[in-house]
Amino acid sequence: MRWFGFGFNAFGQIHAADLTIDDGTPNGIKVITPRELKCHVDGSCCKKTSGLRASWSRRASLHSNGAPSLCLAGFNAARGVDVTGCTDALIGESFLVLAFPDRFESWHMDNDEKTTPVWSMEIKTTSDSAGPSLNLPLIPDGYIAINPPFYLPLSPHLKATRLAVGAEHSVLLSASGAVYTWGLGSHGQLGHGGLSSEEHPRVVEALWGMTMSSVATGGWHTVCVSDGGDLYVWGWNESGQLGLPSRGVRSGQQTQSSQAAADNTLEEEKEKDVFISIQAFPALLDITPSCEVTTVGCGSRHTAAVTTTGDLYTWGWGAISLSFAQVSTVSWDMKHRVQTCRTMWSSSQNNRCVSSMSHVGRGILLPL
Amino acid sequence: MRRQLITARRPGGQHHQSAPQLSRSIARHYLLARLCIRGKTSSSMAPLLWSKISAVLPPDEDHFTLHFSDTVEASVVEMLKRCRRRLYTGAPAAERLLDAQIVLDFSWEKLNTGTWRHVDKEWRRVYSYGCLFKVCALCGEEPSEEDLLQAIRTCDMGLLMGAAIMDDRLQVVVQILQRQVRKNTENNDGREHAEAKRIKLAVPEVPEIREDLKIHRVKCPSLESFNKNYLLPHKAVILEETIDHWPALNQHPWSLEYLRSVGGCRTVPVEVGSRYTDEEWSQTLMTLNAFIDRYILKSRDTSPDGATPIRGYLAQHQLFEQIPELKDDIRLPDYCCLGDGDEDDVTVNAWFGPAGTVSPLHQDPQHNLLAQVVGCKYIRLYSPEDSDKLYPHPSQLLHNTSQVEVENPDSERFPEFSGAPYRECVLRPGDVLFIPVRHWHYVRSLEQSFSVSFWWS
Repeated sequence: MRWFGFGFNAFGQIHAADLTIDDGTPNGIKVITPRELKCHVDGSCCKKTSGLRASWSRRASLHSNGAPSLCLAGFNAARGVDVTGCTDALIGESFLVLAFPDRFESWHMDNDEKTTPVWSMEIKTTSDSAGPSLNLPLIPDGYIAINPPFYLPLSPHLKATRLAVGAEHSVLLSASGAVYTWGLGSHGQLGHGGLSSEEHPRVVEALWGMTMSSVATGGWHTVCVSDGGDLYVWGWNESGQLGLPSRGVRSGQQTQSSQAAADNTLEEEKEKDVFISIQAFPALLDITPSCEVTTVGCGSRHTAAVTTTGDLYTWGWGAISLSFAQVSTVSWDMKHRVQTCRTMWSSSQNNRCVSSMSHVGRGILLPL
Repeated sequence: MRRQLITARRPGGQHHQSAPQLSRSIARHYLLARLCIRGKTSSSMAPLLWSKISAVLPPDEDHFTLHFSDTVEASVVEMLKRCRRRLYTGAPAAERLLDAQIVLDFSWEKLNTGTWRHVDKEWRRVYSYGCLFKVCALCGEEPSEEDLLQAIRTCDMGLLMGAAIMDDRLQVVVQILQRQVRKNTENNDGREHAEAKRIKLAVPEVPEIREDLKIHRVKCPSLESFNKNYLLPHKAVILEETIDHWPALNQHPWSLEYLRSVGGCRTVPVEVGSRYTDEEWSQTLMTLNAFIDRYILKSRDTSPDGATPIRGYLAQHQLFEQIPELKDDIRLPDYCCLGDGDEDDVTVNAWFGPAGTVSPLHQDPQHNLLAQVVGCKYIRLYSPEDSDKLYPHPSQLLHNTSQVEVENPDSERFPEFSGAPYRECVLRPGDVLFIPVRHWHYVRSLEQSFSVSFWWS
């Protein structure tokens, strides 16, 4: 597998900043065209990367061939944490959670004297599994959070197969293909039709009868893909992250021109167009009429989807729909796995800017 | 108090250090059109502006402290330190703009996470630093008119959403920028005057006030008399001749032209919609110029199909903290010192809007002195003793607001309302209405209006 990244790179998490500014941005702070990722923390690692995790300022490359371990890149990445034997990880801005065959551990990234983890939990191995089912953040009977408390229980009745966590909400996919959401709902991200919060997982009734195959969350929005390849979106749309008309995007485009012109056109637009800032019920999003969506991932304010033809589409903060087919010159493996990680920002004024990664957000690092 | 802002707003009650009194060479200049965007200013002016700004910033990196609690991750602090370093080493403005924007975007998301009340103040401070660095990047090298206005908007965002940093440095900087903008428009001026339109002021429809329902009026009572007859017994009254000395009613009348000149380019929160209990109601930010153009001037025409225009209301905003010139045009009423609270804790709000703005019937947890400066308002008061006839909303968010449309009550849904006793008045310029704590009040402007409210305990 080959991995590519684009977006925020101020901490060298995509590639080490070098003097050749070949991507048109000052001092490599943004990576505009996808660049192949090398695992290069100490320059000597040449193991194959089997998985990727990222936060706003760091990237973790997982190596599962041979002795499992991971390498970190980005802010303060050189300060080592003992990661030999680590099979999977979750990385946040403050904490790094590591999964080992027999336990989980959480380390504080800003703590210079990393001698002991701040939290650890043994994995109860049940008779019908050889080891932990690695579908982080899901673990048997619960899930791992990237901030304390690191372990949160989940009712086994839900039969969760996938789980995604946003800034204020969580989304779960059950074995039957039903979607459950809980947490704060102030931006419509729970999909129940209102803005109120839910303390416990509640099924998204609007999707009843359809089988979903994957779920993903941004900071304040949720997306899911049905087994038929349809994409459903709901939540906040201030940056167009739902792919629906966004007033925020329109007025941002106009900030380029003078204030006076912006005020005038906004007034005219109001009468003609319908803008959606919050979508409280799932909406079907047609990306392209010809093919279906296989996987989807989110940044905190943007979304990306891969279609059956191998195209990547992104929309939301920083990018309007763009097909990457012309950018990539290598062939695409049919089995695409989109890993959700954190990447960065870009200017919402620049429609041509390919690096659409939102700050703080999870972005996309693509395997090939 | 109205419904809590969904978009962030700086909570009231914060003790505010006033900006240092720098010399004001502002000509009293009555602009009728909005500030015109002229493009780049002459290059000889730009270094002068930057020297004024850098004069109010720490002399070097060492004196520019960046200290945050553990809430702010080390990577974010690193980004801030990078901004600081590049400011003092004179890195290119375009790059510094990117760096500042990263800080702003990260912290903005924190400001939008959870409820506003629970947002850690540290993130609001980070946001303010981001604004400061952005302003420095915009104004360092030959700022155009558009750069200046964007810098002012950035300062305002920091003042509205952020928390005070470096002795309220953003407030100091925005005053410098505003002076520059005024100077530029004076130089560019000329044809703005010619665009003055003679706008016909519609004669307002003033409701007839019944003699037996009138709120009492009293001329300039002594502190003792006010305390004894009105404050202690919680009795509403209209005070006359108590604000006649305000510059706002004398040498600096608050005409649209004057307001534009002292604060046209400043960003203010505006409520859009008929009333804050409506589903269609929302809050947005825009410059004072834009607000005047869109909601004060335009609202005088009805839309082509005769439908009611959408109302915009600059309501419940601490405008006087934002624009010191306006603060100088008003005075704190002496009666506020009669309460238990500190004088510094008096919350002063501006209420500026076209005819027809409505504040639905609601109650506040503090006493209110509502001073009318421009235009007239129809006001109705109900006693807290009759709250059971006023059908407050059951929800937590609106529990201080009645469900009843006062001037068009639904007697089927709210049968007891018509039996609730009330007092009413038309508040005119120069009047000050004392609304005792928790007394229900309904307000509708009869014409273009500007009121100043003082909330105190």
